[in-house]
Amino acid sequence: MATNGTSTTITKESPSNVNVTNVTAALDIEGNVPLESVQLDGLIIKHCREFFPNTVTGQLLGLDVNGVLEVTNCFPFPGPTKYQVDMMRCLREVNVDHNTVGWYQSTYLGSFVTHKLIETQYNYQQTFNNKSVVIVHDVSRSTHGNLSLRAFRFTQAFMDAQRENKFTSESLLKNKLTFSNIFEELPITIKNSHLITALLHSLDDFENVIPQGGISTLDKETVTGPLTPNFDTLELSLDPYIEKNLEFLLEAIDEHGQEQSNFAFWQRSVTREQTKLQTALQKRKQENVHRLAAGQELLPEEEITKLFKLPPEPSRLDSLLITAQINNYCKQLNQYSGPTLGKLFMSGELQKP
Amino acid sequence: MPIDAATSALNLSFPPTTSATGFVVPQSRSFTVSVNPVVLFSILDHYLRRQENQHRVIGTLLGVRSEDGSEVEVRNCFPVPHDETQNQVAVDMVYHQSMFELHKKVNAKEVIVGWYATGSNLNQWNALIQDFYSKEVSPPFQAIHLTMDTDLKNEEKLLGVKTYVSAPIGISAKPENCLFLPVPCDVKYFDAERSGLDLLASAKDQPDRSTSLISDMDNLEKTILVVQEMLERISEYVNKVLDGSVPANNKIGRFLMDTISVVPKIDKVEFEKMFNSHLQDLLMVVYLANMTRTQLAIAEKLQLLLFSETRKSDSNESKRDCDYVYGAWSIFHWPIFDDYSSEIMLYCEGHLKPTININH
Repeated sequence: MATNGTSTTITKESPSNVNVTNVTAALDIEGNVPLESVQLDGLIIKHCREFFPNTVTGQLLGLDVNGVLEVTNCFPFPGPTKYQVDMMRCLREVNVDHNTVGWYQSTYLGSFVTHKLIETQYNYQQTFNNKSVVIVHDVSRSTHGNLSLRAFRFTQAFMDAQRENKFTSESLLKNKLTFSNIFEELPITIKNSHLITALLHSLDDFENVIPQGGISTLDKETVTGPLTPNFDTLELSLDPYIEKNLEFLLEAIDEHGQEQSNFAFWQRSVTREQTKLQTALQKRKQENVHRLAAGQELLPEEEITKLFKLPPEPSRLDSLLITAQINNYCKQLNQYSGPTLGKLFMSGELQKP
Repeated sequence: MPIDAATSALNLSFPPTTSATGFVVPQSRSFTVSVNPVVLFSILDHYLRRQENQHRVIGTLLGVRSEDGSEVEVRNCFPVPHDETQNQVAVDMVYHQSMFELHKKVNAKEVIVGWYATGSNLNQWNALIQDFYSKEVSPPFQAIHLTMDTDLKNEEKLLGVKTYVSAPIGISAKPENCLFLPVPCDVKYFDAERSGLDLLASAKDQPDRSTSLISDMDNLEKTILVVQEMLERISEYVNKVLDGSVPANNKIGRFLMDTISVVPKIDKVEFEKMFNSHLQDLLMVVYLANMTRTQLAIAEKLQLLLFSETRKSDSNESKRDCDYVYGAWSIFHWPIFDDYSSEIMLYCEGHLKPTININH
């Protein structure tokens, strides 16, 4: 897993500017993250679903081609053992791309902005020159009929701040870092190979759906195939999902409140220290004036400043993460309510005579 | 849903299994295999990545069995390198073992249930490999052999998937002689996978075989269009029957009537009440979410603005200004939200599910 190139000139440009022949400059990935292989989605979904509601992680393998990150295979991670090395070795023998391009994580109702995610993604992004992404899969949302798979990458601003590991207000301002700036979402496209397209067509085959006995044996249970239309999206019940979301939102806001009070506490202690410092300085100045009048030496003022140490500013990373999480929850609520309103009105229409 | 067409082969009884004491116990239960679509896709992917001189590839199937052994679910698979020449076949058993160990670490429930091969003809190599796998699969269960026709020469059944178990044949039981008995097989998947499968299927109609993820709204629109099209087809059919151009089929008629009567008949006033309260809840939630987001956005803008101003001023003054800034920022930040909106949220929680007691 050697890194490419020696210098890291990261630029965000359109694909036409990507310089493939320059060995020293690192290529940057552009928008698209196409998933070349069909099975990759399937493997991620399968693994995430099996351990629901625990969150699971796994590794993504693939290639970076011309500014487009292609993911061709993946495998799950049981834990920080040498599993990864063994697995990569085995996969190499069967001609699977064993180039790591990122990792995936399952999440429950979108609560994925955690410290662990930050650390892991930072490590990956650092090691692979900004060519790694994290794919987040939301199992509970996928059961509502629409696959929820999102690809994220850290912005340059966040990478810089994390590198220094300083999240004070000045460093945040210097990097123009706010909660909406942490992640950059990349669009995902899915590409099938020819054989798999053929398989999908054959699964959809008409003969497979109609039972042999003819129409007289038609029954509700027999007419279900893998690709018959999926009506999960038309489910009307919405309460459990919205409830859970609101609960999480409330918790996140509580935490945020705590962070705020911490910050306010620090502020107050800073002002207290500063007033103390000021009064001591004043006293010192007074004394100096007296001494000047009496012809004695002046006492230095720097000693006083050294006595009073201002407490360090607490890291703002937590509040940044929490606000990002809150934003995520709100967006989810919005996205979910939209179709639900539509469905509600639809059922209203059905009732009309 | 069975994948392969009904075969005209005789359904022989399954080979007797030997129990621990050595007695022969005949198996008379019916045996079905259900396959996860992930497995099929993995097999195809492996076939695409095979070495240049290989005509077919093999690998191991992992899965779970039901309690009495009559239903086997194939959930996962991994490829195994193998060599095939005129005279012999070699399977990398070490690789197979190590991969299985690795997979077991992640998912302890999956056991080896058989093996797969691409290419639909069965020859003696298959028999030998089948014998090897039968030893891997804990007795008294049979190893399942799954074949996938990747040659695409058979026009009736593209990529037909067939499953077999083996039975010994011949005067003396030699490993290279065995009879493969077809077993009915199904494609089964879980709910979460269903949406993924639909997404993949939507790519199959595009000319460049690719598709992108769509939002929830778009997905709903697509589904509604499908339902609309179905309703149109049905109404066309019904009109034709009424005109007399198509003979009426009682079975279809009854089926349609059952379907339509699923719509519940609710009293109008009751329905209005339910509808309105539901609508109110939803709108309240949307309003709350939007307000939160607006508040966050305002705080963010304010933060950047105030901080950028303090940087311009002098160092001595800037300290004072910083204090001022911090103070101003905390005023703007959450108190509004605390009082008003947490009330609203509690209302939402209480209203949507009155049985929960939240203490805040």
